[in-house]
This record gives sequence, structure tokens and C-alpha cells, in this order.
Amino acid sequence: MAGPPGAGDRTVTRTTSGRLSRPGLAWRVAVTLAVVGLAVNGSVRGNDVQWPFAPMSQFACGVDLDGQIRSTYIEADTTAGTTVRVPLTAGGVGLGRAEVEGQLPRLVADPALLQSIAVAAARRHPGWPRYTKLRLRQEVSDLRGGEVVSTRTERLADWTVVDPTGLR
Amino acid sequence: MTRFSRWLFEPAPLSRVALLRIAVYAFVVVDVLALHTSGWYHGFADPVWYQPLQAGRLLGLPAAGVVLVEVLKWGSVGAALVAMTGRLPRTAGWAVALTWSWYQYVAFSYGKVDHDRGDFVVALLLLPTVGIAHLRDNRRSQAAGFALRAVQLGAIATYLLSGVAKLRFGGPGWVNSATLLRAVVRRGSPIGEVFAQVPFMLHAMQWVLMAAELTSWVIFFLPERWRRLMVLAWYLFHAVTYATITIAFWPHLVMLLAFLPLERYRDRVAARWRARRVPATAP
Repeated sequence: MAGPPGAGDRTVTRTTSGRLSRPGLAWRVAVTLAVVGLAVNGSVRGNDVQWPFAPMSQFACGVDLDGQIRSTYIEADTTAGTTVRVPLTAGGVGLGRAEVEGQLPRLVADPALLQSIAVAAARRHPGWPRYTKLRLRQEVSDLRGGEVVSTRTERLADWTVVDPTGLR
Repeated sequence: MTRFSRWLFEPAPLSRVALLRIAVYAFVVVDVLALHTSGWYHGFADPVWYQPLQAGRLLGLPAAGVVLVEVLKWGSVGAALVAMTGRLPRTAGWAVALTWSWYQYVAFSYGKVDHDRGDFVVALLLLPTVGIAHLRDNRRSQAAGFALRAVQLGAIATYLLSGVAKLRFGGPGWVNSATLLRAVVRRGSPIGEVFAQVPFMLHAMQWVLMAAELTSWVIFFLPERWRRLMVLAWYLFHAVTYATITIAFWPHLVMLLAFLPLERYRDRVAARWRARRVPATAP
């Protein structure tokens, strides 16, 4: 146990003695095995809900060369008479596009959820004109042989905002 | 001791851990304030969007609110700044681990989970276990060696398991699918647009990526020099990814530093700096 002079201090001996004690080795091995087990389990049969032991599934799904690529967006009419894209970013309405897409089935089944998007915009950006109508859409790019050959828009849900001027 | 445990606990210089700590905790500050801020915004989102993950249900974590996200944000910044100084390595380190991980949980429990941040939790949990580590203390310790090895394992496991996930969800045909084209179409950059015009490039990148991920573990069997080259190759790969689809796995890039002899790099830079200054100050 080589230590510098004055190594009697507890923290110093603990870090400089070089060797770990038997319990020190044991818990590290146990934790390593547990984490490896959880990570492998998550990857092989788990899903996102198990984060931080979820499968690394970003970009993991194959996209058919003759299939489609879908991008979700929300369009809004405003009290100023304009039509705008709702910024689906965390800074825009508190939710990102991928998060809206992750919860798309809920939104399509219950378009009233779109009301909370109008509320969030009014709260986060009091200076913006309020949203009066929200249209949930998907831009669909059709692929052939791995190249985009055409794009079109699909309608998913519409919502007329309740009391647009009174949102807070 | 078996060969495996000798490898797992191979003593490493404390100064290397001290340098990695500075990188990790500095990253936490930048990350929380600038890079990954969706957790903070979720504090303002309607709780109706909260989709608790298993960990949250187990621990009874509530939907985020403004107070909670502010506490987590400034708590992790404050604790990381203390930890960067090297003082209170355990208390400050575990405070960072707790607040930062919870902050990520808030970010991920609203419909989308990112997969490059789980391994960083490993780094945050293990760095405190080394205790005091001075920048000038080149003595070797097993605790330091284990922390570095575990961070390396976490980083490489992220690659390997990404490859496994591609095989699981995309099947072996993933390499011939249009996954990267999809990424470019959805969140393209000028360079990405160029790549999309030449589908062959994206196609080839998929083969390279899959091959690199599935063979990433080889790094542990390479001689030191090759190991560093492989780390360099990964950094290049991530730079190209960022240029094409503007996605960077930031925390993971910090984890890769655990493969490098940071204290030697520092000494070399310092020596060069001194060599340049001495003639300049000489009369």
C-alpha cells in the first residue's frame, strides 16, 4: 500500500492505495453483470418504456425502397387571419415533432387533444396571434427504387379551438 | 484473479479520471443549458402528454411541472460546476447523476426516447466512485481503471446494441432499405440534400454503419495504437452523420474520451506550450 506521506487521511488512502478491497471488487462486478443483463434484455425483447435499458431503436426500422416517408405537421389559422405552421419543437409548443408522432394514435382518436397545443402556444408565446383552427397533417413522400418520386398531403385530424381569444 | 477481472480492474492513472471528469461535467452544463432542452419545455406542456416510462412508474415520478424542471436544470448545472473543480467528488457527482438522469427522464416521457443518453448515466454514476482524483496525480488506481473501463464498455455497447436493434426491427434487409433517405427527407441539411441526389452514397453508408456497429467490440482486442485510430474513425463517422442529418450523439462523444490517454495528451500540449513561450520571453 504505497501512499504519500500523510496518506492517513481516509479519502487519500481510498483513492491512492491502488487496490480495491474485496467488497469493492464484488459490488462492481455485481453491478456490471446486472447492467449488462438489463441492457441485453432491453435490446432483445424490450421497448422504449424501459429506458435507460431500452433497445437502441433510433433509425433501426427498415424503410421499404418502394414505400413511403411520412412527416407530420400541424397547420393553424390564427386570429390575425393568417395560416401558419405550428412549430413542433420543444421551444414552440412544448412538444417536438417526433413526440407528436409518438402519440399520433391518441391524437387521431381524440382531436380534442389539439386544444392543449393551442393553449401551450398562447402560454409560451403571448405575443403570437392565437390559433383558431388546427389541422393535423402528414406529408407523404412516395419512394420508388429508393428515390422520392412524388409527395402528397394526408389529412389526419381537424380541431376548432375553443375560445381562442381567452386562452391562457 | 482471472484474466477477465484483471482486465476489468486494470489500474489507470487518477489524473485521467480527473480530466475525464472535467469533460463530462462541463458537458453536463452545456447539455442542460444549450443542447438538450426538451426536458425544460416539458415543464410547460400539458400533463395530458405525459407518458410515464417504467422507471417513472416504479419510482412514482409525476408529470413535469415548471418548478420541477427548474430544480433539475439548475441543480444539475450547480452540482456539475462544483464537481468540475474536483471538490466533493462523491456528493457533487451523485447529485449530478440524480438530477441529470431525472431531467433526461422528463425529456423522454413525452412520446420519444433518444438512445444515446443511457450510457452517459453509467459515466455519471461511476465517476464519483473513484473519490478524490487530482489532475497531477498520475498514480494508478483500480477504482479509476474500473470506472474508465465501464465507460468504455457503455460506449461500445451502445454501438453493438444499435446494430442488434437494427437486425431486430429492420432485419438483415435494413442495410438495403431507405432508412437514411428517410432521415434526410425529414431533417435534411444542405450536405444531406446532396447525398439524397446520389442514393448510392446513403446506401453505402448504411452498410458501413451496420458493419462498424456489429464489429465495434473488436476495439477491446486491438493494440493501443489501433484502438486510438478506431476512436478517431468513430469521431469522423459522427462528424459525417452530423453534416448529413444534423443528428449528433453528444454525450456519447464524451464517453469515447475514456479510451484516450488524456493525461498524456495534456502533458504534450503543455510541453509544447512551454517550449513556444520560453524563447518568446527570453531577452
